Amino acid sequence: MLLSVRDLRMYYRTKMGYVKAVDGINFDLDQGESLGIVGESGCGKTSISMTILRLLPDNAEFKTGSVLFDTGNGPVDLVKLPESEMRKYRWRGISMIFQAAMNSLNPVYRVGDQIIEAIQNHFPDMPLDKAREKVAELFTLVGLDPSRMDQYPHQYSGGMKQRAVIAMALACDPKVIIADEPTTALDVIVQDRILKEIRKIQKKLNMAMIYISHDIAVIAEVSDKIAVMYAGKFVELADAVTVFKRPMHPYTYGLMHAFPSTVGEKTELVTIPGEPPNLLNPPKGCRFAPRCPKADSVCLDVDPKYREVEKNHFVACHHPVQPKEVVRFYAD
Amino acid sequence: MLKFLGKRVLQIVILLFIYVTVVYWLIEAMPGSFVDQYLLNPKLTPEIRENLKRQFGFDKPAHIRYLIYMKNFLTLDLGISFSYFPTKVTTIIAERLPRTVFLFVTSTLVSYVLGYSLGKRAAWKRSGILDKTTTFVGIVFWTIFLPLLAIFNIWLFGVILKILPLNQFIDPNLWKTAPLSAQTIFIRLLLTALVFLIVFLIALLISNRLKTIPAKKTMLYTSSITTIVVSIVIWILSGYSIYAWDIIKHMVLPVLTLTLYSFAGSMLVMRDTMLDVIREDYITTAKAKGLPDNVVRDKHAARNALLPLVTNFVISLGFTVGGGIITETMFSWPGIGRAYLEALNTQDTPLLIGLLVFTGIFVLIAHLVADVLYAVLDPRIRY
Amino acid sequence: MTEMVVAEPLWKIRLKLWVRSFKTGWELFKEKKLALFGLGVIIFFAIFGLLYPLYPMIMRNLFWKDDPFGYQTFMPYDPIIGFDPDIVSHPSPPSLRHPLGTDPLGRDILSMIMYSTPREFVLGITAALITVIIGTIIGASAAYYGGVIDTFFMRLADIVMLFPSLALLMVLSAFMELTLFRLALIMGILAGFGSITLVLKAQALTVKVRPFIDAAKSTGASDAYIIFRHIIPNILPLSFLYMMFNVTGAIFTEAVLSFLGLANIRMSWGVIIQMAESSGYLMGASIGTYWWLWLPAGVCITLLCSSFYFLGRGLEEIVNPRLRKR
Ligand SMILES: Nc1ncnc2c1ncn2[C@@H]1O[C@H](COP(=O)(O)OP(=O)(O)OP(=O)(O)O)[C@@H](O)[C@H]1O
Ligand code: SF4
Ligand SMILES: [Mg+2]
Repeated sequence: MLLSVRDLRMYYRTKMGYVKAVDGINFDLDQGESLGIVGESGCGKTSISMTILRLLPDNAEFKTGSVLFDTGNGPVDLVKLPESEMRKYRWRGISMIFQAAMNSLNPVYRVGDQIIEAIQNHFPDMPLDKAREKVAELFTLVGLDPSRMDQYPHQYSGGMKQRAVIAMALACDPKVIIADEPTTALDVIVQDRILKEIRKIQKKLNMAMIYISHDIAVIAEVSDKIAVMYAGKFVELADAVTVFKRPMHPYTYGLMHAFPSTVGEKTELVTIPGEPPNLLNPPKGCRFAPRCPKADSVCLDVDPKYREVEKNHFVACHHPVQPKEVVRFYAD
Repeated sequence: MLKFLGKRVLQIVILLFIYVTVVYWLIEAMPGSFVDQYLLNPKLTPEIRENLKRQFGFDKPAHIRYLIYMKNFLTLDLGISFSYFPTKVTTIIAERLPRTVFLFVTSTLVSYVLGYSLGKRAAWKRSGILDKTTTFVGIVFWTIFLPLLAIFNIWLFGVILKILPLNQFIDPNLWKTAPLSAQTIFIRLLLTALVFLIVFLIALLISNRLKTIPAKKTMLYTSSITTIVVSIVIWILSGYSIYAWDIIKHMVLPVLTLTLYSFAGSMLVMRDTMLDVIREDYITTAKAKGLPDNVVRDKHAARNALLPLVTNFVISLGFTVGGGIITETMFSWPGIGRAYLEALNTQDTPLLIGLLVFTGIFVLIAHLVADVLYAVLDPRIRY
Repeated sequence: MTEMVVAEPLWKIRLKLWVRSFKTGWELFKEKKLALFGLGVIIFFAIFGLLYPLYPMIMRNLFWKDDPFGYQTFMPYDPIIGFDPDIVSHPSPPSLRHPLGTDPLGRDILSMIMYSTPREFVLGITAALITVIIGTIIGASAAYYGGVIDTFFMRLADIVMLFPSLALLMVLSAFMELTLFRLALIMGILAGFGSITLVLKAQALTVKVRPFIDAAKSTGASDAYIIFRHIIPNILPLSFLYMMFNVTGAIFTEAVLSFLGLANIRMSWGVIIQMAESSGYLMGASIGTYWWLWLPAGVCITLLCSSFYFLGRGLEEIVNPRLRKR
């Protein structure tokens, strides 16, 4: 395994108490594999990636867990590394395309220079002209004119910035790339094109990818495996086809039936009645229980275990949806 | 860039004309002037009186005088001072301007460098010890009653520690036998400082091209230290070093006082904008790239926070000039600010107008410098 | 959608909202130690100043019981014409009779300081109030109307900001008697056209685009009505905040002008230091010896100025969420 995350927990400290944004996350990622994480806004998707990269704000408290990353000669636990060691794995081992890609470029430096900075940080011996060549290559790869590398971010359009940020994420040939809703700020057509390109590049370079989105249609397009996240936890994880064809968690089921066709209109996940739980004081027992039509007294009391129901199909539910079963969500 | 500069210069020239006009009429409206008092002197014969009136232009109506003044202003002739009678206003200003400019430039440079580096560190470790102490001390200095700070400094360094002279520009006893005037020595000192500044800037430019951080540092340090050593040697060899030293000793306290007073402003602004910048996404990106902490802080965060700092310089120009007037008065530092107070007390109108006009020019030039700096720092303006 | 029925008058709702935001604000404010310190010092000075009338009475009962005639003749605790005949040479160092010593004219320094305190408040708050009223109206109108009005006031603010107000006040002092009230008026007006308009305009612009402005317009409300009833109430918290900074500026400027002997104010903290300066006690080596002539008054100016500043900054972090700590 290239990356295996075990029982990852990270809480934010606030005045009202802990926000349990990452609460016991487990997954594995292989070379060349693409994992999609889907979940409602605020369920903790970004927090997972920030915990893996250890780029947490001051009020974040890392609780438990391990992030085993295979360096080529044996796995290391990123969680235990000292900061100076960790720095070596950022961008070169795991790089990231941030949610707000528009603002990921520093306005006062040339775009090319910002990519070169990343390259020279990890390959200090690479001469400048080599680095520039590399940037030109990357620009071509993501569909940007290499002559634009000496321009400033404000001279780029939104879509171009997006591509530049992708090029930057690829700069150090990372083994894993985390893409956190990289296309949300773009219009649908550009969004689609960039999405396809990301997938193409990921396959071509045989990188592992974690793609984060609240949009199941987008996830469907880019992922081999899909993890469904709800209130700080993964509720279901399986390969893409299984998740679509045979969802076992009621929440996933609801998601799938809210989107009859994955290429249809892209709307927010509002069709499951009820509000997502407050991560501050999550309900005891199953966090989905208040919205779940199958909930019973056990669900309200006992937190369901995240277990492998069948091979490579993980579900956290006391009463998984059976094949052919029909679950109805009632909007009151 | 050139177009931008051209536009700015034009704006500034227009502003200057408005300003001179306002100043002229303001002072003109001042009831009673030196001339009136002077002309009332019963010993003067009517003839002399008329003569004097003509000489100062008081036989003509006010608006004609204004036009004449503006015409003369274009040729940089600001008339003749009343209180230093035959001396031209421009001569007085020319003598005093370098001292004020020096005081202003040094304390501004030092306080901005200090404010920049303290502010960025304070914000980077928000609520740390450094942040708490610098914020507290900063606000106290920022709001301290400036004369109190001056008195305190004089008392501490001059009376208690006895390491610095109390006030004045020079020590009169020493200069009785001096071969050159204090002004000449002072100008030469200024030139030395200018040379140092130029060398430093060139070194900074070169070091920006260098790759590794140690190479950058060596470049900066060696060039600065070499220039300092060379200029000290030259001064010692010239034989004027005791006089130069005397001037320097007298300069320390005013510069220190004005610096302490004004550094807090830049520091607080730097801290507050840094706090904003740190939240920007490109800072997270820089960290994610695996850059070391201080590179993220200096190259990415602080560099962006510099822009509001430049804006702040322009906004606080007025305060700094006010601070300069107070400092010069407190330390009997014979610059523009002191002359201003003297001219007010003696109702020396031409000198008063001249000083105000020069303060205006000075502020506008500083404004222009800040604009250029801003344009250099912000790529969004360049095109 | 159900129509909201507004039974209460607008001002009542607004008042309730204010009370609520005041409560949450206070929660945040309590955590700002420096701002609390500032508020404490301000309250201290307010009480200190109000207690002034008691001071001579207490001192008379303590030290002048046996000499009521002397007390009535010389009024030793009068801040302006007082004199203590029982002390051989003035200025005299702090003693029980004069806790902060006397000045060269034999006046009691503590009484001068206490007497001046309410005046400093009046000056600072009057000037700041004028500034804020002008700044708020201009900022709101500039944002609402835009165009020429906006450009004019913004350029004016640039100019006012750029030129040193101290120099201008110094010239004005030659024209007229700068009494306390006039000084407050002039400083208030000067600052009102300065940088405060920029800040408040920016804030008013964010209010201008809110839906209720359009709603008000569509019901045919007049411009003035919209500005005064809708825009201004929404930028008032920020105005109030800037008032704090302007109090600092006004007290400082008054002290400097008094110190330079340019203001026509009979007694203030600045005047106390000016007295020391003009009678030569700030010259040369004797500075430290006669510290009570300048130190207490100077410290009072500094303390009060920085307290308002601390308070302002603390409020700024509450009003301006960008600075707020998460
Ligand atoms: N620094 C922080 N302090 C306290 N709470 C935080 C902090 N950052 C995030 N949170 C909270 O943690 C939860 C998870 O946030 P996160 O950004 O990971 O969500 P997300 O799934 O990425 O959402 P989105 O789809 O909107 O990006 C949210 O409820 C958010 O309010
Ligand atoms: S555990 Fe119970 S409440 Fe939770 S999803 Fe499964 S059935 Fe619903
Ligand atoms: Mg997110």
